[in-house]
Order: sequence, then C-alpha cells, then structure tokens
Amino acid sequence: MKKATVWQYILAILLIFVFLTPVFYVISSSFKPINELFSANPTFFPRNFTFENFQNALSRGNFLVYIGNSFIVAISSTILAVVINTMSGYALAKFRFKGDTFVMILILSTIMLPLEVIMVPIFSVLRTFGMYNSLLALIIPAAATPTGIFLMRQYLLTIPDEVIQSARIDGASEWKIFTKIILPNAKPAIATLAIFSFMWRWNDYIWPLIAISTRSKYTLQLAIANFSGEFGSDYSSIIAMSAISMIPMLIVFIIFQKQFVQGTVQTGMKG
Amino acid sequence: MKKFIAMFLLLMAIGLLAGCNRTKTLQMLWWSDGTEGEVMQTLLDQYKEETGVEIELVPVAYNDYEARLATMITGGEAPALARVTEGHLNNFKANILSLEGVYDESGFTNLFFNADGDVISLPMDITANGMFVNLDLLDKYEVNYPELGDPVWTWSEFETEMSKLKGKDDVQAPGIFDHQAHRFMPLFYQNGVKLWTTPYSASNLKSAKAVEVVEMLMRFYDEGFLPRDAYITKNSASLFRTGQYGFHLSGNWNVSGYQNLEFNWTVVPMPQFTNRATILGGKSLAAFKDSGAEKEAKAFIAWMAEGEQHDQYTGGVPYLTPRLGATVNYGDFADQYAVFLDEIANTSNDYVQDWLNQVMIPGMYPIINQFVEDAASGSEETALELLTQLEADLKAVAPTS
Repeated sequence: MKKATVWQYILAILLIFVFLTPVFYVISSSFKPINELFSANPTFFPRNFTFENFQNALSRGNFLVYIGNSFIVAISSTILAVVINTMSGYALAKFRFKGDTFVMILILSTIMLPLEVIMVPIFSVLRTFGMYNSLLALIIPAAATPTGIFLMRQYLLTIPDEVIQSARIDGASEWKIFTKIILPNAKPAIATLAIFSFMWRWNDYIWPLIAISTRSKYTLQLAIANFSGEFGSDYSSIIAMSAISMIPMLIVFIIFQKQFVQGTVQTGMKG
Repeated sequence: MKKFIAMFLLLMAIGLLAGCNRTKTLQMLWWSDGTEGEVMQTLLDQYKEETGVEIELVPVAYNDYEARLATMITGGEAPALARVTEGHLNNFKANILSLEGVYDESGFTNLFFNADGDVISLPMDITANGMFVNLDLLDKYEVNYPELGDPVWTWSEFETEMSKLKGKDDVQAPGIFDHQAHRFMPLFYQNGVKLWTTPYSASNLKSAKAVEVVEMLMRFYDEGFLPRDAYITKNSASLFRTGQYGFHLSGNWNVSGYQNLEFNWTVVPMPQFTNRATILGGKSLAAFKDSGAEKEAKAFIAWMAEGEQHDQYTGGVPYLTPRLGATVNYGDFADQYAVFLDEIANTSNDYVQDWLNQVMIPGMYPIINQFVEDAASGSEETALELLTQLEADLKAVAPTS
C-alpha cells in the first residue's frame, strides 16, 4: 500500500478538526454556567467550570430509567436486526429461488418510503397487537430493515460460492454453514450493521414520540426533547444530557471500530 | 460470548415485562417552559392524596405536542386531560368535552367557548406582551425611559430615545421584537385599530392608522432599528441574553427566563400611539372525549378551579393568573409582573376580545403571521398593499355570518 503523504495527513487532521469541534464544543459547553452559554463573547472552554447543568437536568426527571430504556431498546433491536438481516441477506445473496430478484426489489423499494408515510399503518398494527406504549413497540418494527438486508446481501455476495459448495460436499448442514462459515466471514458487515442499528435506535426520536405515552417508558431522546417549551428551551440541560447521550455511541464505536472501517469499505456503506 | 447472550436475554426479558405490563391510567399531556410541570406534579400528588385518583403527567416537547395529541386521538388513545393553547382548542374542538357546569366560569378571564356557547377549558395562566430593557446599556448611553406610574411614552419618543444606541460598538441594534404576530398586534390596538368593526362585516385594516403602524414597523427593519436577522432566525430571547440589544418586545414568560443574566434588566411600560394596549395569550386545561375517563377528568378540573389549588399553580409558574380577584404572590418577580398587570388593566376588553376572536377562527392566525413576516422581511410592497392583501386573505377565511 502506498504511504500517505504529508498533505494527506494535513487534510485528515483538518477533517478531524472540522468534525470533532462541534462534539467537543457541546461537551465543553455542558460545563458552562447558563450566562456563559449566552455570552456575547463565547469561549471554547468554560470560564467558570460547573456541574450545575448536569445536576439541574438530572433533577428534572428519572434519567436513569430513560437511559435504561434506551439501552434495552437499542441493544435488543440491534441484536434482533443483526440476526434477522444477516439471515435475510444470506438467503438473498446465496440462494436462488423463484422470485428472488422481485423480493429483493420489493425490499429495496421500501427504502424510498419515509417513516412518516408508514407511521400510521405501523401504529395501527402495534395497537392491534397490544404493543402501543410498550418498549416492544420500539424494538419489533426495527428488527428487520431494508438497509440492513441490502448491506448484508452486498457483503455476502463477496464470499465465493465455492466455499459454501465445498462445505456442502464435506457434509455440513445449512445451519452449520451459516454459523461456522458465513458468520465468521461476515464480521465486518455485522459490525457495521450493529453500529448503524445501535445508532439509529439510540438516536430515534419520532417513532418513540408516537409509540410511547408513559413517562416511565421514555427513552433518553424523548426526555431530552422535553426541555423544549413554547417560548424557549432549557439549553443548559439539553447540552448536558446530549453530552451524556454521546457516551454509549462512542463506546460502541470504539469496540467495533476496526470491523466498522473494514465493513464500510467492503459494502460501500456511508454513515 | 455466553455471558453476553445471557445478559441480552435478561435485558430482553426486562424489556418484555416492561412492555406487557399495561394498565389504563388517567393521563394529562403536558409541556413546560419552566416550572409548570413540577408545580402541576405537586398538585397531582395532592389530588391523589385527597381523592385516591392518580393522574399521570406525560411531558411532551412543545414542537411535537400537537402531532402527539393528534396521534393519540386518532389512534383511540385520547388523553383524559391536556394543557392546551387557543390554537389547540381550535384544532381539536371536535374532541374536547364541554365543561358547562363543571366550574364557575364567571370567576375567570380568557375563557374559550364552543359553537353552542359552552366553555371548553379551564384557563390556567395568562401571558401578556411587554417591553424588556437592558438597563446597563440604557444607563451607559443615557437613554431615558419611563417607570411604572410615569407618563407612558409614545412610539415616537421611544424611537428617539432608543436611537441613541445606534452605531455603538457594544450594541448590535437598538432592540428586537419577537417574531410572532402576537407580539406585533398590540401596536394596532395602541393606535385604536380593531381588526374588524363588527364581527367580520368590515375591516379597519386599510385605515390610515393601520398604515401608520405598518409603515413604522417596516421603517424600523429597513433602518436597522430592529435587526432583520433576529426575525429570520426567530431567536430573539437568545439574542437579548447576549447583552447587545437595548430592548426586547416579548412577554412575561421571559421574566423567569432572564434570571441570572450578566447584565441588569427590567420591564418598562410599552409605548403607545393614542392609547395603551397589550394582548393576552394563555394556556388552559381541557378534557377529551373517548378517553374512558371523562367523568374523572371533569372532577379534576372542578377541583383545580377552586381558588386554593389554582392560586398555588399560578404562584409557582412564570405567568399571570386568569382567576378574577385572586391574590397571587409572584415572589421575586413581583415588580416586573406589576408592569404587565398594569398593561392588562389599561387594555380595553374590546381589543382583548377582538384578538381572541381572530385566533379562534381557523386559518386567521397563520395569515396574520405571514403578513408580519412579509412586513419585517423587506417586502417591496407598500404598507397599504400589504394590508390590502391581509384584508383579502382574512376575508377569505372569515365567517360570513
């Protein structure tokens, strides 16, 4: 591989600076007292360091419950999404059956439908099944996504058919092929899907807003939004809780970083 | 890996249990700008202690409030109670219960009625427009201003005084107006212009006095007396907080919002043309049809309308009380609230009702908002042309009888 030039390093550092400045500014601002947040001469670092914003925000709601709910939803739906999307992607990539292309096109076409369009039908289905105002209402609809299926299919197409055929000749069952050959080889794509899925569910706001109506089942994003009123917003609390809400995403990304980079390169996915 | 799977299964089980444990409780949909949620929660706890009836407060962000309410109603999950604006009362009037006979409405102002003349909500708080000033800037540049009890200044005197702030290094612009039409409309009333003479038969919008008001507003923006970007970005309160503006035409909710600023500020009487006027806004509590708890919802409203509970609420929130004859202790905000109460006391009820009538007619308020936005955004049309368009647009949605 060609070595990166000095200019490429400079460009990379500049891009890092551009992307990370807002993140660090939010974190730094979360430690500023409110009058500094609206100061005419803002500074990057707090002049008077305070934990007041965190104390105020945490005193205005049961944030441990909201964070717990967000974790339950994000982890459960991510695991479900990985299992279901990987299986679907494998079937569409490696099995030929009547109408397989049509099924794939049908799945892909749903990518074009925004949530707002399918919101009412999904709401009706969940209500019929008694899932309205439950965490299941946030977990189940996200279990299979067209983007996830597409991502997994594209990656699994790169695994040579010969590998699977050899395994069959050696007497491996379909389940064994999937678990012992496909899954280990699909790690980069699975990591990518896991990160995206966790991020989508963790940051999801519109769907929980519609599907949840009890405070005890609120996710973190719903709770943060409630700091906004008609005449103004409690920016200090919003910034403090937003800073906290970044932490799980950072941890997930750090864990899957290596596979994520590999996965995005090989599947052509972009964040 | 096994540990991880075990942890996942445990979390799933907790999630499923949390999801399946559904019981029907009374819900009150709510949003807060400050302490309203906490004060209401205290009252709900008190109510539970007295009656055994539990009502769950469900907070929702204001921007998504209407969408959430609409989804709950259409999805067959209407809340028993909800905090509402006049806009919500208008948009959901088909779903709101009549409160006729539930409480004594003669003890309240800012009441809303349905087509049958039944009262449809309990007024919880009222807001009034008013003028905030940055005392540090005004004192530094020797800007004179009246205090409560002094003769009220005119818009012309106001402009002369505040223009002393123009071109100063530490001043972005003399002042700012909130972007909502609600804040601008008192200027019409301050010049004696009611929007309609008798209900929707003839408008006064093309009168010389109305033109005078709009021309002044357009000049303010054209000459930089008011910054156009504040109107476009709709963040006037954040801008005033920077300390680089002399005045902010806003409302009493900012009295609490402006605590802990880095500069001194106060509320002064609004200027006038020929007479004083402010207009009221406010929130109320409504009960909804098909919630399955209509009787309980009405019972709570009856309890809440009692003086003691109602005063406890208005004493703890950054608003004024709609309860006639109430003696509310506004605590640290008493001096500033005295100015707002004085504005209300000096506003003719004709103007109050004129404004309430407009906002309760579907489609009128967005048209008025658009008109103010056009006037503030450097429109090439004249004030009279804008007002002519406004009249035509309002006539199209005004009731014919």
